Amino acid sequence: MRLLSLLFFVSGFAALVYQVVWQRTLFAIYGINIESVTVVVTAFMLGLGLGSLAGGAISKDARRPVVLLFALVEASIGVFGAVSLPLFRAVGQITLALSPAAVAFVTFLLILAPTMLMGSTLPLLVAHFTRRSKNVGQSVGLLYFINTLGSAFASIVAVLVLLPRFGQLSAVHAAVALNLAAALTAFVVHAREKKSAKGEKKGARVMA
Amino acid sequence: MGTRVRFPLTLAVALMAGFIALSYEILWYRAFSFVSWSRPTVFGLLLGCYLFGVALGSFGSRRFCRDTESAGALRALAWFVFFSDVVGFLVIPTLARLAHATWFPAFGVVALSAGLLGAVLPLVAHFGIPADDRAGQRLSYVYLANIIGSAGGSFLTGFVLMDAWSTPVISIFLGFVGLAMVALLLMASSLASRPTKAALSAGLGAVVLAGAGAVAASPVLFDHLYERLLYKELYSPEQAFVEVVENRHGVIAVNPYQQVFGGGAYDGAFNVSLVDDKNVIERAFAVAALHPQPKQVLMIGLSSGSWAHVVSHLPGVEHLTIVEINPGYLELIGRQPQVKSLLSNPKVDIVIDDGRRWLLRHPERKFDFIVMNATYHFRAHITNLLSVEFLELARAHLLPGGVHYFNTTSSEDVQRTAATVFPHAMRVINFVAVSDSPLGFDPVRWERALREVVIDGLPALDLNEPHQRDVLSRLLALGKSLDEREYAFYALERRDALLARTAAAQIVTDDNMVCEWEDLLRFPKGSNL
Repeated sequence: MRLLSLLFFVSGFAALVYQVVWQRTLFAIYGINIESVTVVVTAFMLGLGLGSLAGGAISKDARRPVVLLFALVEASIGVFGAVSLPLFRAVGQITLALSPAAVAFVTFLLILAPTMLMGSTLPLLVAHFTRRSKNVGQSVGLLYFINTLGSAFASIVAVLVLLPRFGQLSAVHAAVALNLAAALTAFVVHAREKKSAKGEKKGARVMA
Repeated sequence: MGTRVRFPLTLAVALMAGFIALSYEILWYRAFSFVSWSRPTVFGLLLGCYLFGVALGSFGSRRFCRDTESAGALRALAWFVFFSDVVGFLVIPTLARLAHATWFPAFGVVALSAGLLGAVLPLVAHFGIPADDRAGQRLSYVYLANIIGSAGGSFLTGFVLMDAWSTPVISIFLGFVGLAMVALLLMASSLASRPTKAALSAGLGAVVLAGAGAVAASPVLFDHLYERLLYKELYSPEQAFVEVVENRHGVIAVNPYQQVFGGGAYDGAFNVSLVDDKNVIERAFAVAALHPQPKQVLMIGLSSGSWAHVVSHLPGVEHLTIVEINPGYLELIGRQPQVKSLLSNPKVDIVIDDGRRWLLRHPERKFDFIVMNATYHFRAHITNLLSVEFLELARAHLLPGGVHYFNTTSSEDVQRTAATVFPHAMRVINFVAVSDSPLGFDPVRWERALREVVIDGLPALDLNEPHQRDVLSRLLALGKSLDEREYAFYALERRDALLARTAAAQIVTDDNMVCEWEDLLRFPKGSNL
């Protein structure tokens, strides 16, 4: 539980680094007039919301390995992160002549996959923690605290350290590394839990 | 209270909490951005403090999640929302009152408000979601409701209200929304248990009193808001802006000295006179000396319109296209005698757009001259107009012999970047002119522009006046300063000298944004009059 909590901190940290950098990149492509800013911010939020729905739907089945799914989600975010800046610039080049409404739609599509993945992590882990603690408020409070704390640190570190010292691409690479590390660690946690469950079954069989 | 009522109420609370939270954050950012001259660190610091508050609030809420009585949870929720609303309302007045010294305590107030509101999501989830296998799924609906509320706040407050209302009015509106939410929670809690009439009345009475208090106190709390945020330690009650335009693009203020402040930073002045020189307007006249016949001119950034007004009257200029991101400036220009005729000048087209985006979307447009009186190099997003990538974009929009000419605000990084991307460069005071063709500062054309330009019937220089003849002499001397050996701010400088002087500087790219990160945490001084 403690290790998963740490992973959720890392998840929140990486997510916010992406958000800060991707917004800067999209603003350079589509402009920093208020229309573009509103579109980018709203697209981010809707992606998170849709991801939340998806994560919630998946978490409903108690048999699904939510920790493994969390690992896959983090890995997928990392992979997308690694290709994100060139992808944004390429798509931006192609879509420059579009109408504002079409640009809004393209922006939404561009960040839909990663933001859905990010949004799905909270309900997945809440389901996992709630099954153990039987308390929704405490599970949500703890997980929301950890994830948001990670985001808070990222928000400040991004503008005081990562971007000033290393630039956009390196900041994204740092987030990618964090996602992949979180994914690997979550996978190890899942494997241990699975092994532990098998051990319990063996013990039961012997006792019976 | 049954699940059928409980869960929809949970969703409604989550939605309203999201709306209030993001609306306040957008409104706070307007003030923090203004007080800091839109430094790039501000958004991250504000968001970081906000999220830190939310994190602590959600953690602290756990103690209230042991209470299994739904009415108790709702009452706790109501008080969290109430105090969050009050503190949120006070963030901007607090920042204004502290602006004479520092801004960091105001970030603390942001964290406090966010912390109180951050408790809402866990509390409302605890209230409305049973701890069964569907907990994750139900939470996803609550989270989605919260996010939809946030998106609604982003759109309604950031896009609509900030165009229509002032900061104080929006603050009152948000305060009322928060209080309405408190009232809703109190009444809902009375359905779950039977509080005494006195208890419910006291709660609702507090709500009404807070609302009335907000309205009554607003004139004092928001008194001279933008003057305090701008002048800081130099502020005194006698100072008052003669114009303030608040729209969704930002805040523009004009002081009695006709100086313009966009987003809290000096942005030019209403002046086309070479004699009453409060905006170094001779840099605009220099366009005539830098290009033999600048027929087609592009100007990125309109601001006070003074530069555009001068350039549109230079010899040989046939058409001036201006791209400006904030339409509020047109409103101001229309009320300023010195520049208002710019708006009806048939030579001039004004486009409301982001300058870089406009160039990207109009690859076919080519110009003899691009002028950009860019804002300070350390402000957020200015990289988009100063980087190697932007300079390449500008180059693609120049006709043969064309010149790109822009304000470097004396940044050595910016100057070096320009002189590196282009083979020909010249510094003109704190501007740099760059071109793929050899550059010169033609003394004949320079003198002609100074002597002959007439704007709205008034000559730029009245050579019958001895003082104005002195001004002419000074300006002609500027035109001859190209080969001075000692660096002087008020002078011309060749490319090789510029490159030697800026040897230690960095090249600005879209990726490194190096010019923006100067002095990361510096709190700007009050602007001098």
